[in-house]
Amino acid sequence: MTFSTITRRAALALFTVSLLAAPALAAEPLTIHVGYAAIGVDNRPYAEGTSAATARAGEYLEKEFANDPDVKIEWFFFKGAGPAVNEGFSNDQLDFAYQGDLPALIGRANGLKTKYLLASGARKPLYLAVAKDADIKSVADLKGKKVAYQRGTNGHLSAIKILEANGLTEKDIQVINLDSAGTVAALTSQDIDAAFGDTQLINLAAKGNAKIIYTTKGQDPRYGRNAGIIAREDFIEKHPEITQRVVDAFVKAAQWSSDEPNRAALFELWHKSGTPIPILEDYFSNDTLAYRNSPLIDNLLVSQYEEQGVKAKEFGLIRREVSTDGWFEPKYLKASLEKLGLQNFWQAYGADGKPAGS
Amino acid sequence: MSSFTDTVIGAAGAKGIDNTAGWKRLRNRRVVRRAVIGLILPVMLVFTWWLASSRGWLPEQILPSPAYVYATAVEMIASGEIFYHAGMSLRRVVYGFMFGAIAGLSLGVAMGLSRTVDDYVRPIFLAFAQIPTLGWIPLLMLIFGIGETLKIIVIAKGALVPMTMNTAAGIRSVPANYVEVGRALRFSRLQTLRLIVLPGAAPSIFTGVRYGLTHSWTALVGVELLASSEGLGYLLVWGRQMFWLDVVIVAMIVIGIVGFLMDKGLDVAETYFQRWKRSEGEA
Amino acid sequence: MTVLSALQTPRAVKIRRGLTLPVLLLIFWEVSSRTGLVDARFLPSLEDVFLTAKRELVDNNLFGELTASLLRNIAGFVIGSAIGIVFATLLALSRAADALVTPTFNGFKQISLLAWIPLISIWFGFGEQAKIVFVAIAAFIPVVLNTYEGMRNVPRDLIEVGHALKFTNVQRVTRIFLPAAMPSIATGVHLGLIYSWLATVGAEYFLAVGPGVGGLIIAGRERFDMALVMVGVIILGLVGFLLNRLAAAGEAYLLRWRVTAH
Repeated sequence: MTFSTITRRAALALFTVSLLAAPALAAEPLTIHVGYAAIGVDNRPYAEGTSAATARAGEYLEKEFANDPDVKIEWFFFKGAGPAVNEGFSNDQLDFAYQGDLPALIGRANGLKTKYLLASGARKPLYLAVAKDADIKSVADLKGKKVAYQRGTNGHLSAIKILEANGLTEKDIQVINLDSAGTVAALTSQDIDAAFGDTQLINLAAKGNAKIIYTTKGQDPRYGRNAGIIAREDFIEKHPEITQRVVDAFVKAAQWSSDEPNRAALFELWHKSGTPIPILEDYFSNDTLAYRNSPLIDNLLVSQYEEQGVKAKEFGLIRREVSTDGWFEPKYLKASLEKLGLQNFWQAYGADGKPAGS
Repeated sequence: MSSFTDTVIGAAGAKGIDNTAGWKRLRNRRVVRRAVIGLILPVMLVFTWWLASSRGWLPEQILPSPAYVYATAVEMIASGEIFYHAGMSLRRVVYGFMFGAIAGLSLGVAMGLSRTVDDYVRPIFLAFAQIPTLGWIPLLMLIFGIGETLKIIVIAKGALVPMTMNTAAGIRSVPANYVEVGRALRFSRLQTLRLIVLPGAAPSIFTGVRYGLTHSWTALVGVELLASSEGLGYLLVWGRQMFWLDVVIVAMIVIGIVGFLMDKGLDVAETYFQRWKRSEGEA
Repeated sequence: MTVLSALQTPRAVKIRRGLTLPVLLLIFWEVSSRTGLVDARFLPSLEDVFLTAKRELVDNNLFGELTASLLRNIAGFVIGSAIGIVFATLLALSRAADALVTPTFNGFKQISLLAWIPLISIWFGFGEQAKIVFVAIAAFIPVVLNTYEGMRNVPRDLIEVGHALKFTNVQRVTRIFLPAAMPSIATGVHLGLIYSWLATVGAEYFLAVGPGVGGLIIAGRERFDMALVMVGVIILGLVGFLLNRLAAAGEAYLLRWRVTAH
């Protein structure tokens, strides 16, 4: 027996054990493993800017199951972002996760059995910052420069689309693969010329250590990126009621995060991630909370994911066709909206980016 | 490095001529038998792997099918991508190892020849050597950034420690009467070093080269995993983040092959070198 | 003996010489960081490093981080070297296993340790077990190589003594092969300990974020906190040194019969 068979057998054994262990009865203790494809400043186990981040910081899931001592919630935050969430899903170590569009599609293309339950952080803008002494005025100036982003995340796909719109491809720039914290360090020390990202870059610019020269905010939504709550199929099949309650909790968090009077309280809550409140205010300026925090799987969202799949294939990020058919599972979201009387709380958008039914 | 490859090629040629035909045939038959038996397990493994993935026992996200990995390998060879990345890594190792080996050799010679130098340098050198190479990377990143300089320094550091320690130990172990002989023959200091001390220390220096190269290679993968946009280590990160396990496996195989070739190259160089030393001694 | 002559003994000279460079280095460090000769971002003052160490110890649970690193180091090391000794014994003593498995093992051995990171991360996910498996592999390889070598080099007459005494297979292993190969095994275990520490750092760098000294260093780099990075690096060195000493002491203890035999 070689080393590789040992590990392979161990992997298989683990896999089988987890399969056998999964059909737990309702009375048996159950831990729900929830992943988040980001991590707070200095690795704080919190995030910001999404209804999922609200659910975490406001303990919506924990409250939902407060009267069920047998159900525990465990959160995991990933420095490795969306790609790391896929590793968690493939080991059955995660049941639910907040994850961006590209990594979720990559996971699906590789045969991960997941479902898309509701949107969260689906309309996050992306920013392009340049080092403070760099002579880069526009996206087109990036040609030949060292540009950082985290490969395999939804920011990656969005960045390529922005490059493409400006006549560039990934091959025209020098891509430096860095996570969010690594990007901040490298941009501060001017090891790189530019970087794509969000709040960490706004924060850096506010401190005068970088300049923001472009954002997808207010642009054509097709340059943007999407995200949502993904769940493992096995878990949903085995625990439909629990899944429903998890979705309920996320919808409640989305509702609270969408109520304008809560704006200040919301940023205060998200500040647990370590991002300063003025930065969050900037990040959400000119956007209504309801627009950014809508959980709806509307035509705009579905068409965006389809488009992302096509683009990802076109750019060589996925090498096999990926279909979103049957992936979206709006049943639980619909039930939650009805139960909570929120059917008309959020505006649905059509594939053309305009409010549906108008 | 070019002289290193020359040595390798030269040695292989010399070895071939030396063998008498009959002994060679006998030996070959044994070698073939052993190779066949040795191949049983890998073949079985690949077969099981193939069976498991084609029957769907093994989820694709745990291990992609061998056919898929093979197709990826062919594609990466055809496009030259794999050579580009392997070439980048090799270039870094060659430069880094060269700097580290030369520095280690010089330091080792100084420490081996002079007690005084050894007394001064050894404690602080050992203190620095306790820190794993990986531990140095973030510190060096802060000073040198994430460019090529960082990679060369980290790889050089990997080679430096074993080269220094083994050179110094080798020189120490050269018997004092050899040096006496040199003195009797009125050798200059340089002649003593070149003709007596260094050949005497050669086996130990070779051990240093071997460990140095292994450490350099490990350090290379580490530094490429942390910060790079090309190279075999980068292929690993890239494949991991894009969930391309086939690319990851191809990169691992290439890393293994390069490691194997370096190891074999050293073996050949070492036998050749020892033989040269012996014939030099007989003459 | 006067003070002066005491300073002239070979041992004293050695110590004095050995301390010269470190002391000079510290003085140079302190002077250049105080006078601003070197950017404090690259070379924080000694005081800064000391205060950072104190802060991490008192406020930030440095001991917890260190314990986490050491626990996964020890767990991986023990698992890896135990499996390694058994595995190598099988290969060395069974002709069939040797012919079948050794070439494959030699092939896998060539894959640089860190190259296993992506597969381990995908196979074992983000938990502690992924890190422990990685550390175990690091210890496994040198232990197998050295144990195998030691067993293969057991003197023929010793083996024949076993035959003459009609030892069972188990007795042959425990009474002849293991003791005779002990020096080699000890070397392998010693190397395994060093590699497993390297692997612990590697696991903390490249696998999921968790407590540990490696994570601390990475965080220090990201915050551009050179003092924190230095504290982490110094701890890595100290632990490396202690592990080395521990292994050497263990080796000496296990092999004490050899010393008396001479």
